[in-house]
Amino acid sequence: MSDNVTKVFNWVNHRLPIQNTYERHLSKHPVPKKVNFWYLFGALAAVVLIIQIVSGIWLIMLYTPGEAAFSSIEYMMRDVDYGWAIRYMHTTGASMFFAVVYLHMFRGLLYGSYQKPKELVWIFGCTIYLAMMAEGFLGYVLPYGQMSYWGAQVIISLFGALPYIGESLELWIRGDYYISDITVNRFFALHVVALPLVLIALVFLHLIALHEVGAGNPEGVDIEAYTDEDGVPLDSVPFFPYKVLNALVGIGVFMTVFAIIMFFFPEGGGYFIEYANYEEANPLVTPAHIAPVWYYSPYYSILRAVPDKLGGFAAMGAAVAIFFVVPWLDRSKVASIRYKGILSKIALVMFGMSFLTLGYLGTVSVTEHRKTMGIICTFIYFSYFLLMPVYTSIEKTKPVPDRL
Amino acid sequence: MNIKNIFSINLKWIRAFLLLFVSFTYIDLEAAEEAPCKDYGECDEFKHSLKDMSSLQSGASTFLTYCYGCHSLEYSRWNRIANDLQIPEEIFFDNLVFDPSIKPGDLMAGSMSKEESAKWFGVAPPDLTLVTRLHGSDWVYTYLRTFYEDSSKQYGVNNLVYPGAAMPNVLAALQGNQQLACKQVPVIAKNGGEKRDNSGNPITKEKCGFLSIEEGTGSLNQEEFDELIYDLTNFLTYVGDPDKVERERIGWYVVFFFIIFTTLSSLLHREYQKDYH
Ligand code: HEC
Ligand code: HEM
Repeated sequence: MSDNVTKVFNWVNHRLPIQNTYERHLSKHPVPKKVNFWYLFGALAAVVLIIQIVSGIWLIMLYTPGEAAFSSIEYMMRDVDYGWAIRYMHTTGASMFFAVVYLHMFRGLLYGSYQKPKELVWIFGCTIYLAMMAEGFLGYVLPYGQMSYWGAQVIISLFGALPYIGESLELWIRGDYYISDITVNRFFALHVVALPLVLIALVFLHLIALHEVGAGNPEGVDIEAYTDEDGVPLDSVPFFPYKVLNALVGIGVFMTVFAIIMFFFPEGGGYFIEYANYEEANPLVTPAHIAPVWYYSPYYSILRAVPDKLGGFAAMGAAVAIFFVVPWLDRSKVASIRYKGILSKIALVMFGMSFLTLGYLGTVSVTEHRKTMGIICTFIYFSYFLLMPVYTSIEKTKPVPDRL
Repeated sequence: MNIKNIFSINLKWIRAFLLLFVSFTYIDLEAAEEAPCKDYGECDEFKHSLKDMSSLQSGASTFLTYCYGCHSLEYSRWNRIANDLQIPEEIFFDNLVFDPSIKPGDLMAGSMSKEESAKWFGVAPPDLTLVTRLHGSDWVYTYLRTFYEDSSKQYGVNNLVYPGAAMPNVLAALQGNQQLACKQVPVIAKNGGEKRDNSGNPITKEKCGFLSIEEGTGSLNQEEFDELIYDLTNFLTYVGDPDKVERERIGWYVVFFFIIFTTLSSLLHREYQKDYH
């Protein structure tokens, strides 16, 4: 570095902790040296978050909330150079965001990443997930197609099922007696300003908390137990460049998949962009079959599994909320599924299958048989969590090695 | 025996249970949804050919001649279509655009007011810009070929794909009079084979609902008519997603870029991994 640059750098560095932060969080930040692909999804989630924010900013320049919402999307796709690229980047990003975060969360369950001392990392994560669900819902209303309208109708009316406050709460959310441009305008404000701010703040907290306690590994080994004389764990490598390179490989694979979807299959077979949403919202015509986008469908199934509207809403809320207490439901001495007993393994497999089945059921119409399946899977879904204190404490675990 | 042992044995039982669960949940996958093309059953398959300019041009011409009187393409612009379909603007506007007040950059907003047409047909003819994305090209291709005579309806026609559609069969002069006919079909036995009587002749029963065209009533034969509808549907597929060809062309470069990116970073990663392995 030339002298002048060094001087300027030093001047700034004395006033802003640049070097310190860089070393603490990147160049000297120790991460476990042996992890597997499951540990890439956090970085991928961060990549999608950036994609969503950048493509979102461009969308705001071209989108008009309110009456012209539907046509503004069509004009942006047709009349604006590469308008389609911006829009498909955002729609593909939305589905990929959930795909990646679901895998990221599953990693947590697989390797007990929520266990002490990472409870807060997990809780911030769960809050992120909650914020993402709200963000996705609000965004889905904006293009104002038939599914936007009727999906919003279904979800908002759930709030109306609450006792006492229900009706006025529903009115307060919509800002009108029915879903109208007033509703779209406020959803727009929340989708592009309020929730992104919340999400960014939460991701920041998530990562700060993680760096404070140190990242985990698939063995569930505590790498802090063996350190060199400087206090650096022996089984760790510095984040930069080793883990950055590792992440780059993952990002490369991920972006290849992303590009294939975005350029060749942007509708994802009707799962990423629902076909019914190619028709402008029409309050007078209910679509033949209202289905949520795939990433909400497991919860939609749980909602439908309970015959009573309020009960269904409560079950759906509980299904998301229960993630928050997982660190206290798991009583196992070991973190990783590799050393847990057979009961934990069965429970996790059953949970995964019930989640996928619920997801499938949420996208199709109800029949008697499917209804029964929905109820059984809802039951399994909750059993995974509620029985966790039992099966994690009675099963036989394997001894965890000392070192990675 | 202590309780821990009870739970760590009996793998067989657990496997059986898992198997049962899997089969129970996935056996239902093909449960009957309503057929996508209603009374017609499965839609006929349509494979677009968006690079075939003569097909697209003929489709555009059919659309502007027979459909634009009722249906708009309100998100699409005149000159965009002329350019994309490689029709010189002059020829396009002289031959296919019938309203002289239209400017090249105008939206194809239709020539009928929504209120008026709703009065005539009971429903306003919907805008068709996105119809192939809403229902799929298969659906449109099948719908346009399955009008049949039905005197109980306002325009004397009904449709197998969209029963009760308020649209007249505007292409009847080309296709001819199509009716629902009955014919003898073999009775299928439980084992999937055809049922036969004692002397070995197949047993048949009458089945109705087959489309048949009265010979000599249309100016096109069935093959020509199907081709006309193919071109028309191809054009509507293009209108629904006008950037598809360009998007896929760019897509190859982007995918190629990321494959190279992945390869290089993976080589570099391997090199650095030697430091700690
Ligand atoms: C005389 C007016 C008229 C003409 C000409 C006409 N249509 Fe229609 N079309 C209608 C009406 C009215 C409907 C609405 C039917 C209903 O919903 O019951 C309709 C519906 C349709 C639909 C179904 C749209 C949907 O979303 O349900 C398609 C596809 C269609 N028309 C295609 C065409 C094509 C292609 C042509 C040219 C060959 C054409 N129409 C010519 C009046 C017309
Ligand atoms: C915008 C969404 C999210 C982003 C950007 C994000 C980012 C990250 C990153 C970069 C890591 C470190 C790398 C890794 O272990 O994968 C991480 C770790 C972690 N995340 Fe997330 N995350 C998100 C959502 C969530 C959610 C929804 C949960 C759970 C409900 C969660 C739970 C965790 C846990 C428990 C860890 C620690 C893993 C360990 O060290 O063993 N995260 N996150």
